[in-house]
Amino acid sequence: MSPAPLPPEAWSAALTTLPAMGPARLLGLLRRWRPEEAWHHVADASWLHDREVALAVGRDAGRMAELWVACADTTDVAAVWQRHVDAGIGVLTLRSHSYPAPLLDDVEPPGVLFGRGDPDVIAGPRVAIVGTRDASQYGLDLAYELGRDLSAAGVAIVSGLAIGIDGAAHAGALAADTAPPIAVVGSGLDIVYPRKHQSLWREVERRGVVLSEAPLGAPPEKWRFPARNRVIAALADVVVVVESRELGGSMHTVAEAQRRDRPVFAAPGPVRSATSSGTNRLLRDGAQVLCDASDVLLALGLCAALLRSVQESRPEPSTEDAAVLDAVGWSPVSLDALAARANRPLGALALSLDRLRADGWLTERGGWYERIARSDR
Amino acid sequence: MLASIRSATLLGVDGHPVTVEVHVAVGLPSFTLVGLPDAACREARERVRAAFVSSGIGWPQKKITVNLAPSVVRKVGSSLDLAIAVGVLVASDAIAATLVDDVGFIGELGLDGTIRRVPGVLSLVGALDCSTVVVAPGAHAEAALLSRHTVRVAGTLSELLRSLMGDEPWSDPPPAPHEPPPIHVPDLAEVRGQPLARFALEVAAAGGHHVLLVGPPGAGKTMLARRLPGLLPELDDDAALEATRIHSAAGAALDGLGLVRRPPFRAPHHGASSASLVGGGTGNIRPGEISLAHRGVLFLDELGEFSPVVLDALRQPLEEGVVRVARAAVRLELPARFLLVGAMNPCPCGEGSPPGTCHCAPAARARYARRLSGPLLDRFDLRLDVARPEVSRLLGGGAEESSACVAARVLEVRERTAARGVRGNAELHGTALEEAAPLTDAATNVLESALRAGWLSGRGVGRVRAVARTIADLRGDARLDAEHVALALNLRSEVFRRETRVA
Repeated sequence: MSPAPLPPEAWSAALTTLPAMGPARLLGLLRRWRPEEAWHHVADASWLHDREVALAVGRDAGRMAELWVACADTTDVAAVWQRHVDAGIGVLTLRSHSYPAPLLDDVEPPGVLFGRGDPDVIAGPRVAIVGTRDASQYGLDLAYELGRDLSAAGVAIVSGLAIGIDGAAHAGALAADTAPPIAVVGSGLDIVYPRKHQSLWREVERRGVVLSEAPLGAPPEKWRFPARNRVIAALADVVVVVESRELGGSMHTVAEAQRRDRPVFAAPGPVRSATSSGTNRLLRDGAQVLCDASDVLLALGLCAALLRSVQESRPEPSTEDAAVLDAVGWSPVSLDALAARANRPLGALALSLDRLRADGWLTERGGWYERIARSDR
Repeated sequence: MLASIRSATLLGVDGHPVTVEVHVAVGLPSFTLVGLPDAACREARERVRAAFVSSGIGWPQKKITVNLAPSVVRKVGSSLDLAIAVGVLVASDAIAATLVDDVGFIGELGLDGTIRRVPGVLSLVGALDCSTVVVAPGAHAEAALLSRHTVRVAGTLSELLRSLMGDEPWSDPPPAPHEPPPIHVPDLAEVRGQPLARFALEVAAAGGHHVLLVGPPGAGKTMLARRLPGLLPELDDDAALEATRIHSAAGAALDGLGLVRRPPFRAPHHGASSASLVGGGTGNIRPGEISLAHRGVLFLDELGEFSPVVLDALRQPLEEGVVRVARAAVRLELPARFLLVGAMNPCPCGEGSPPGTCHCAPAARARYARRLSGPLLDRFDLRLDVARPEVSRLLGGGAEESSACVAARVLEVRERTAARGVRGNAELHGTALEEAAPLTDAATNVLESALRAGWLSGRGVGRVRAVARTIADLRGDARLDAEHVALALNLRSEVFRRETRVA
């Protein structure tokens, strides 16, 4: 008895496991042939005779052909497919019915998308919240609040699950628990990167969807992240940069968003803050100013009344502590400067700071105190 | 004829008695030295012979054999020159054996017959149990510190010979300087602002807690560290003698009175090798920087630039107060109980504080922080971020408290600490700490919330408590209150944890 024929998704998944198979090459192959045909053309290097595909592969076509033939020889397509089925990973090709609709008419759609969770949640309004991994407390607070408020208003948050702004935005979205979160990552869906976000990642899978262009087992290679950023920009109706340096992945996301005519918002930061240098430049270059979630809702054509007011859940600080909290202000401050500003002895000040920190009003990093804006954690 | 003369050799910082046996016999003229001498010691033959000739004493044209007993101990350096010369004199009947019966000789001979001072005179003299010792004039103050012996000095070999024979009286020791030249210790009053760092120094001095200062260039880390020795009390007699022994053995210059009274301050460069820092070397084992800092302050600037191997070699001495150096032939202990002050930048660019101002990649920062191993970081009870002082404080502002005021408080605490049987609260552990540092309910609450929030580890609790004990001592309080604990927690900030937790 011969085994049941493999579905087209199986051949597509196998194609992504080949070395140096970036989005452009994959798309070139899959636009020209059906997945199974494409696989056979790759396996015997006959794609070299097709001008269109050879153009998509670009330079080094001869070397790529050799490399692919060697790999295709040792690849068991049925086993690749079985691995994905066993892991409960959805494989979405351009022809699958659950392939995200917003990507279908994109300028550079992913030929294959792997997804865990429910890909059909990609339906309502979506906002990408992106930013630096090395964020300040200000950026983290803002990302969290935006994620929470927009999600509460029914807007799905698209982000990359990276450290810093990405993580904070999704943490906020999960806290609101209204619109399903959408994450696009740069590694295989079985490789949680960064590892620190293991629980966040699982929670997004459970309540929304995590997408990736990389097959199972693919490590978080550098080239995958710009490609990932393009998918984030393509999926979102609006892109918000919360905090970014002048050179950073977020700037790449913005460029991709501009290519697709998506509105870009940037949150202003202090002009001397290195972490806000990129967002401030975006504002100078004409990005829209983001002050709170209502700005984004307006751009989406939604009513700002959808925003819920948030209950303050932290215990009210005593008058004494409140004075200290005022003295801390909204930028990082050292204990020395604070002692001078609040005019209090070090001991009493340390005790106040300790109480405020325990109640969630403050955070301390390496001797610097920063105020926490958001009320829920 | 046979003569046996007493002297001593140096191993590490300890002196070992050596008997120099000289045998002069009829035969072809020769001069043999046996008994495990090292290169410098073997060269004594040439120095002694030349000194005899230059001093106008005839060199016996006989078969001379010198044995350095016990022969299992390696003899290093030139401290036995003088004893060998005297041995030859006695064995060749130039002087009577009874004259040198109860006399020890320590010194190096010059080719012209001068007697020179050798490193480690204090330890060498300490190893001798005779009633009189003869040393070089420059070593008199040092040799007299023990006041167990009659110390005689002689400038040259011929002078020594005349004095021994009773032809002329022993020469007077060089006059001791009336007052040791004042050692300039920089004053804390020169530090503007930095209330937290000043306070940390005071706590460090009072409790003997190791300090780690992290901050951008120009924040004043080095300036602060250099003022720490000025806050420490003068060394008591025992400690001073220990410190002097080490300095003497290392050949370091001692001030006029010979005794190291001020706590030493050592600041080795970050290129230091493991042997130069912890001590060692081949053959002649010398005390390293950490031993020279014994009972004082060891300041490691640019801590991140030291080799990790060198830094981790500090862990055992930090714990035990001694360095055990083992070589194939010898195994010895060098004292090393010092107060460690480390200074480094928060990240490679140096501008990492306050958060958000640095341009380093997160990975580069993490790599930089990893240069300090966790166990070593754990040894620092006080860790603080030193920010650049505010401009207004730098230029204006009133006078700051001077070192003398702070040192008075430190001395008071040190005296109180001595009643607990330790030199500093940093040495309190386990039950001794429980007893010495009772917590009020409020203080327990502060500690508990810190533990629950994960800001503090189990080991950290003990260290925070010891620091809080010192803070309470400085304020004259018997029990640890919430305020003391909160301050202690603030003085132990996670200087390298710069990423923030999200949700």
